[in-house]
Amino acid sequence: MNQAHQLEKFEAADFINRTHRPIPRSYGDALLAAAKKDKRIVALTADLATPTETDIFRDELPERYHNVGIAEANMIGLASGMARAGEIPFVHTFCSFATKRCYDQITMQAAYPNLPIKIVGFLPGVATLLGVSHQAIEDVAIMRAIPNLVVLDPSGPEYHASAVDAALAHDGPVYMRLKRPETPPENDIVAKDFRKGEGILAREGGDLTIIAAGLSVTEALAAADRLAADGIEASVVDMASIKPLDADLVIDRAKATGAIVTAENHSVIGGLGSAVAEVLCDAGIGLPFKRVGLADRFAEGGSTPYLMKKYGLDSTAIIKAARDVFGKKG
Amino acid sequence: MSTGSNSRVRNLEILAAKIRRNTLDICMQRGGYAGQGVALADIAACLYFDELRPDGRGWFHDRFVLSNGHDAIMTYAALAEHGSYTLEELRTYNADGTKIDQSPIEGQLGFEITAGSLGQGPSQAAGIAWAERQRGTDKRIYCLFSDGELQEGNVWEAAMFAAHQKLSNLVYIIDNNDLQASGATTNVMSVEPVPEKFEAFGFFARRVDGNSVTEVLEAFEEAKSVTGKPYVMVCDTRLFAGIGCLREALPMAHYVAQNAADWEAGLAEIDAKIAALAGGA
Repeated sequence: MNQAHQLEKFEAADFINRTHRPIPRSYGDALLAAAKKDKRIVALTADLATPTETDIFRDELPERYHNVGIAEANMIGLASGMARAGEIPFVHTFCSFATKRCYDQITMQAAYPNLPIKIVGFLPGVATLLGVSHQAIEDVAIMRAIPNLVVLDPSGPEYHASAVDAALAHDGPVYMRLKRPETPPENDIVAKDFRKGEGILAREGGDLTIIAAGLSVTEALAAADRLAADGIEASVVDMASIKPLDADLVIDRAKATGAIVTAENHSVIGGLGSAVAEVLCDAGIGLPFKRVGLADRFAEGGSTPYLMKKYGLDSTAIIKAARDVFGKKG
Repeated sequence: MSTGSNSRVRNLEILAAKIRRNTLDICMQRGGYAGQGVALADIAACLYFDELRPDGRGWFHDRFVLSNGHDAIMTYAALAEHGSYTLEELRTYNADGTKIDQSPIEGQLGFEITAGSLGQGPSQAAGIAWAERQRGTDKRIYCLFSDGELQEGNVWEAAMFAAHQKLSNLVYIIDNNDLQASGATTNVMSVEPVPEKFEAFGFFARRVDGNSVTEVLEAFEEAKSVTGKPYVMVCDTRLFAGIGCLREALPMAHYVAQNAADWEAGLAEIDAKIAALAGGA
């Protein structure tokens, strides 16, 4: 008990939490609540409890919690076995390890058998001090390519409970990439809803559309505010569901605004920008278009604002792209 | 077995104390993996000032592969004493724009591979060892990894190759500190008995006190006498070993936030230790 107490104290000082003060667990609380309602839900982690907000699940439902150690590929296999025996496993680690490290296991043991395995990654994109090894800059690209798999990239903790609901509503495998706050938020987090396959029109404007996901949604909204001050009205779509993608909304905004910018905390190759381009090309729509994302290169460790700025993912980069496509409109 | 003169051991113990001090100096700026850096100071002193055969021109004859990236703090703190880094630049650890990555990338002085995704060092070290032997060099290859990393299957795939190929130029050094990010290794996913597991794979295995310069030196000597097998030294360590006040206050701190430790108390204790060692030399 004494040791557990010490552990809790110092897990609060883990490598995501910069403040050494408690941070709300929007995802962890939602998963625990769901598990209390549905006894089939089990949680697995590969040595990351607090950083994946599953410490509360560990403490309250220890009989349905497995810390498998630093063994991500094994974790997918165990989850597959549990799913084949009727459980609904949520597996947790950082995005980089949840995807790249067990790609074949996910394909063969979760996606092909179409099992209800929910793969929950933290530290999406460049946003970590831990550098290249921990940065998932291509996870959406590779996960999107796997049949049967749903890919979610919610824009903030207010959507994390909804992400749990969306994952459970899909009777099959899901991958979601979540960003835990690094510091305690100033205001209470008010839960908001999204659904698989539906984009959220977060702001309406007629001059162009910014389609964003994950951390980039906040940047896109900030960009839209600054563009509006200069008389350019941008729509902003929060595309938390990257697969399936809301093609109808993409086509609607393309026709309504005539120019599109995509923004994502991910490589420009294979992620949201590629997915939107595929929809537009398939629909035969040609229009001014720009992708804001990591420009096919590796990043480095650093604070999130520093990295978003340095690698051209922040609101300033989105504004530049927006002005560019707006200027090219006929 | 002899590890040579008392002055050799004493000299390495002083260097280890200085490595401990450097670790605190670096981590007190913005937090870091201080407990590991302090605990690994004795192994680091033996490696960088003795075993890796410093070439006198600022580098080493032998090759060292760090597998668990967060133990980079050990290398930084040791190479500061070696003169390859200044403490001033190391104090930018964890700052935006720094070259002193928390988890190191290859190309940065002191690091053969890009570490941080766990369990990938042992294979690369085995590959280097095979190639060095194939090329006919006398280089020895050392790979440091942690007890938690033993949970990755990749480690055992590497071990199977190393033994099958009889890589007697390869030494695995395991930081057996019974701690991983989410708790005590014993509680999370037991890895013991570690030496017996490696013996079953075909290694010569030795359990040593990783905080005893004498025992670490003896194991390194023994490794050179073993033929036809790779060698593994399972080094029992504990976080912050060698700095009692921090060891007592932070026994489970896998990562230490800047404001979570009494750094000044730790520095005072290690300064007294350095003075005592120097006085007794």
